[in-house]
Amino acid sequence: MKKRTLTRDMNVAFAAAVTLVALVGTAEAQWLKLPTPGIPRLPDGRPNLNAPAPRTADGKPDLSGIWRTPTGKYLYNLAADGVEVVMQPWAEQLYRERLENNGRDRPSAACLPHSVTDFDTHATPRKIIQTPGVLVMLFEAYHSYRQIAIDGRALPSEPEPAWFGYSVGRWEGDTLVVDTIGNHEKTWLDDSGHPHSDALHIIERFRRSAFGRMEVQITIDDPKAYVKPWTVSFGWELMPDTELLDWVCENNKYFDVIPK
Amino acid sequence: MRTRFAVVVGLVWLLAAVTASAHHSFAAEFDDKKPVKLTGTITKVEWANPHVWFYLDVKDETGKVTNWGMEMGGPNGLLRAGWTRNSMKAGDVVTVDGFRARSGKNLGNATAVILASTGQRLFAASSQGQ
Repeated sequence: MKKRTLTRDMNVAFAAAVTLVALVGTAEAQWLKLPTPGIPRLPDGRPNLNAPAPRTADGKPDLSGIWRTPTGKYLYNLAADGVEVVMQPWAEQLYRERLENNGRDRPSAACLPHSVTDFDTHATPRKIIQTPGVLVMLFEAYHSYRQIAIDGRALPSEPEPAWFGYSVGRWEGDTLVVDTIGNHEKTWLDDSGHPHSDALHIIERFRRSAFGRMEVQITIDDPKAYVKPWTVSFGWELMPDTELLDWVCENNKYFDVIPK
Repeated sequence: MRTRFAVVVGLVWLLAAVTASAHHSFAAEFDDKKPVKLTGTITKVEWANPHVWFYLDVKDETGKVTNWGMEMGGPNGLLRAGWTRNSMKAGDVVTVDGFRARSGKNLGNATAVILASTGQRLFAASSQGQ
């Protein structure tokens, strides 16, 4: 029995060493591949993404990690799954114009960053750093960031419009519920151009259902633009053993290429 | 069998990772009804976000040389798909599949690049499909 345990331990150690060598051996200056410390691993050294979600010292779920959206469909159309979206007439007209001109005026084409909902759905990784008072999202794309206050503060009463709005989060069981208001009207909800008004209230729900999985739900509550609130659900996958890469919008030739 | 499945899953993961980083609207810039296939010599590679661009001299049947510019995905998606900034260099001969720009200029969006020296097919992380 003892011998078998020793053999298994040696196998685990060997597998871990092989993985480490493989990861370190291919490491380059930008830390594309490197072992993330603290990740639960399978006997062969691979990350155990089905392990339970980690918790912080105060017992809250820890959402920290680098996450990716495995599909681009919600980035293009937040309502891709067919949720009923009933727009007010002005919003419908604006959305139709954006569809008809192939979304040529999408803010990101001018190197402006995405905003709350289109970064939630963006395939480029975001890194969450959770502290007791604030949850920070670092977005690889556009070298951008967002802060979600989880220190109990109230939302501002007369917010100056902000590209990422103003976000406060609270725990409902193991789900972090985030309310965001004050979103700049220049931002689009998605790449196809779903519009919003200054009354936009975004409700996001984040639940880390396993070490490698985040359930994400977004509700759009904007009575000036939509007849009733609408909700979409999707998931993020953890990106273990890597790091964010540099991303600055330095080589934008879009305006040289599009027809004048 | 298991290995093969893992490879397929890995490829799907990589493709998903590199195709869906939307910077601009593909349809505003390029025409997916106008495919183009070009063979030529790389003259320049701009390895930078939001899109890698490369340029190649293409000779037609009369011997006239035209320089084409081709857009790819960003370097980050390409790095995660196994490219480096040295995967394709000035002087390399390549065959490119892609789509032409709507403007009618000698510009396009590359969906795949094949290196003539090795026959290696390099996925171009096209900005299509967003």
